[in-house]
Amino acid sequence: MKAPVLGFTPRVVNRVRFAAILGVLGPGLVSGFADNDAGGITTYSVAGVKYGYELLWVLLASQIVLFFTQEVGARLGLATGQGLTGLVRERFGVRWVTFLTITMLIANVGSIVAEFAGTAAALSLFNVAPAISAAIAATVVILLITRGSFGKVQYLFVAVGIGVSLAYFASALMAHPDWGNAFHSLLVPSLAHAGSTNGAYWLAVVATVGTTITPWGQAFIQSYCADKRLGPEDLVGERLDVGLGALLTNLIAGFIVVACAAALFSHQVTIDTNNPNAVAKIAEALRPFAGDAAQYLFAVGLLAASFLGLGVVPLTSAYAACEAFGWETGVDWRFRDAPAFYGLIIFFIVIAAFFVLIPGLPLVQVMFMAQVVNALLLPFVLVFVMVLASDKKLMGPLVSGRFLQMVGWTGTALLVVLSLTLAVSSFTTF
Amino acid sequence: MTGIVVKTNGREIFLQWQAVTSLDAGGATLRTTAIDISKFHQRPNEIRLKRDLMDRQIVDIDGRKVVRVNDLRLDEVEGALHLVAVDVGASGLLRRLGIEGPWRVLARGFHREVPERYIDWEDVDPLERTIASVKLRVPHKGLAELHPADLATIMDQLSRNDRVGLISSLDDEAAADAIGEMEPESQVDILEDLEPERAADILEEMDPDEAADLVADLSDESRVEILGLMEKEEADEVQELMTYAEDTAGGIMTTEFVAVPASLTAAETIDRLRELEPDAETIYYVYVTDDDEKLVGVLSLRDLIVAKPSTCIATFMFAEPVAVKTDASEEEVTELVARYNLLAVPVVDAEGRLEGIVTVDDAMDTLMPQTSKRRIPRLFSRSGTAER
Repeated sequence: MKAPVLGFTPRVVNRVRFAAILGVLGPGLVSGFADNDAGGITTYSVAGVKYGYELLWVLLASQIVLFFTQEVGARLGLATGQGLTGLVRERFGVRWVTFLTITMLIANVGSIVAEFAGTAAALSLFNVAPAISAAIAATVVILLITRGSFGKVQYLFVAVGIGVSLAYFASALMAHPDWGNAFHSLLVPSLAHAGSTNGAYWLAVVATVGTTITPWGQAFIQSYCADKRLGPEDLVGERLDVGLGALLTNLIAGFIVVACAAALFSHQVTIDTNNPNAVAKIAEALRPFAGDAAQYLFAVGLLAASFLGLGVVPLTSAYAACEAFGWETGVDWRFRDAPAFYGLIIFFIVIAAFFVLIPGLPLVQVMFMAQVVNALLLPFVLVFVMVLASDKKLMGPLVSGRFLQMVGWTGTALLVVLSLTLAVSSFTTF
Repeated sequence: MTGIVVKTNGREIFLQWQAVTSLDAGGATLRTTAIDISKFHQRPNEIRLKRDLMDRQIVDIDGRKVVRVNDLRLDEVEGALHLVAVDVGASGLLRRLGIEGPWRVLARGFHREVPERYIDWEDVDPLERTIASVKLRVPHKGLAELHPADLATIMDQLSRNDRVGLISSLDDEAAADAIGEMEPESQVDILEDLEPERAADILEEMDPDEAADLVADLSDESRVEILGLMEKEEADEVQELMTYAEDTAGGIMTTEFVAVPASLTAAETIDRLRELEPDAETIYYVYVTDDDEKLVGVLSLRDLIVAKPSTCIATFMFAEPVAVKTDASEEEVTELVARYNLLAVPVVDAEGRLEGIVTVDDAMDTLMPQTSKRRIPRLFSRSGTAER
């Protein structure tokens, strides 16, 4: 089959199409969906149940900050081709990177526990016992990662994620929300509960921000861009991708809050939010108001989100550790050639699975402590990121301009205040 | 080691190592009272150990890996201080963190060794970026001696800038070999990152079939630009190969084969082989063509050597050679190679003109889709490890 003179054969066409599809489903998008992991969905649902539409403005604000933090992370990856911990080590030295990496690993164990709790909660709606769902989830994820097919499967999760975001949208519709009220709350901060005596409102604010903007999310987007070998010429596409990711994340979070607010808050249904199964309870409670479908859609969404997080968080952790300490980054991917890499991943997953498997372990406290550690670590991460991104020698043409520096530091300052708020309040409540 | 850089009053100055009598955490004692306080400027053949080497990534040539420098080992030899090895093991890391001692005690309690790993300075290649514009006196000598497949493994571990730096230190042929060993995805990235002239030079050194696959994957602008910069002859070959679909005989064939007219004698044919050998992909088969370039016969190297030098090759050539059409599928080619135990199959067009050959290694690639090339637990490479 001889092609015409300038028709550069079918293979060129195939390639372009393939690249275009994956180009759109890029780092920003996956990162955005991964931010809406089990912890995220739990936090949003609880926010909707407890405060109705009131916290919607926090969502919008945190997604805007998310866009800027992810943009900086992506830009670092594009400009340097290195992950966050590698850069921190080269710039700030071995002590800082050890502190950063170890703290992040500890916090990530907590996040992984939350992902397991998420799968357990989701599957409990299909009458699967928590121990069984945790065992299944751990096995599936370890197989996926060690067999090296996670790179592909993540897109499946994202596809499910997109489908499910439609499901959340449907659940929100079925719950007959007061859209006027919702939009008003989205744009105008309502502080009716802000003065509440125990500071629970502010804690919910911090939790919402904290579940969206995470240290691992920051490491993730940068490694992803570097590992995909994207370069300075991809800046525009990457910004678009990050923007799309933040927008979709925001929409999903918004619909969850709206669904819970419309169905549960406005009917004064109360849920024990200290139960690790709170989401399952919320999904069940949705049923009378939003129909059977809503319950299962909610469950499937939670399951997909948990699985995405379950894959992404351990991988990011292992990458960060290996890059920080110079262990076998990018050797053969068989287990015996990269024992530290796979060892870390399996260690994280097994430890976390135990928390779910063994009844009586302080599941909620672990998840909560992970949030606190994440919140305390975030300021450090952001300061590192901002300093690195302002380094002309390192970044070349991708260095942060005046506007991005201003926005970045403002966002960082806000998050530092929020983090300290969370830390102080968590120590006073304990 | 020639000296130390000291920061004083916000200015960096250079102290000759000979002038230093002792140096510890408390400070340094000098043997002279006069020091040069003009601002320090790094010369092209100097490395600043802490800034340019410590905590940076280096290539461990022996282990064919990219590793991070945890610590440096300096030894005094004949009164001068030398950098003898870089520490990439756990002990170096613990030492830097200031917990080596306690850790060792702890490890001994568990009857475990603290892993130590040093790499001789000789076997280290600092990456281009990490030493900024600094050129070593013997730049990348060790790297150039590596097998192309090992170089490809190392390049897989590097960021884009570092790869370009590494390639710029190799000659065109070594670069072409190493790039040839990489995944198609990475090949394209590298070529597009290089200066177009350099990319064209490297492509000229590659086998035309490999080059054609690669060029076909480039973006439209780079393809036109790079092809324009290549030697006319090579560019034409590549362009011709590109017109065949990738999964056909035409798509996997190479145009570098040996063809001779039937009128030659065995001795003349061997002489011709000597002339052509450097370019041809295989010389185990010599193809015989008529005036219209139509394939009329094939000779093996063995036939040629055992024949009397003066015999005409037409008398002992195999006159009905197995051949495939340019549009034959890869599977057909592989089947033929297996059935007849061939080292190469000739590829002909509709009129029977010899267009190229498919060598056994290229034919086998379709059978074993890169199972032997598994590497990199890449987190999210575009094609993904899952593709393999």
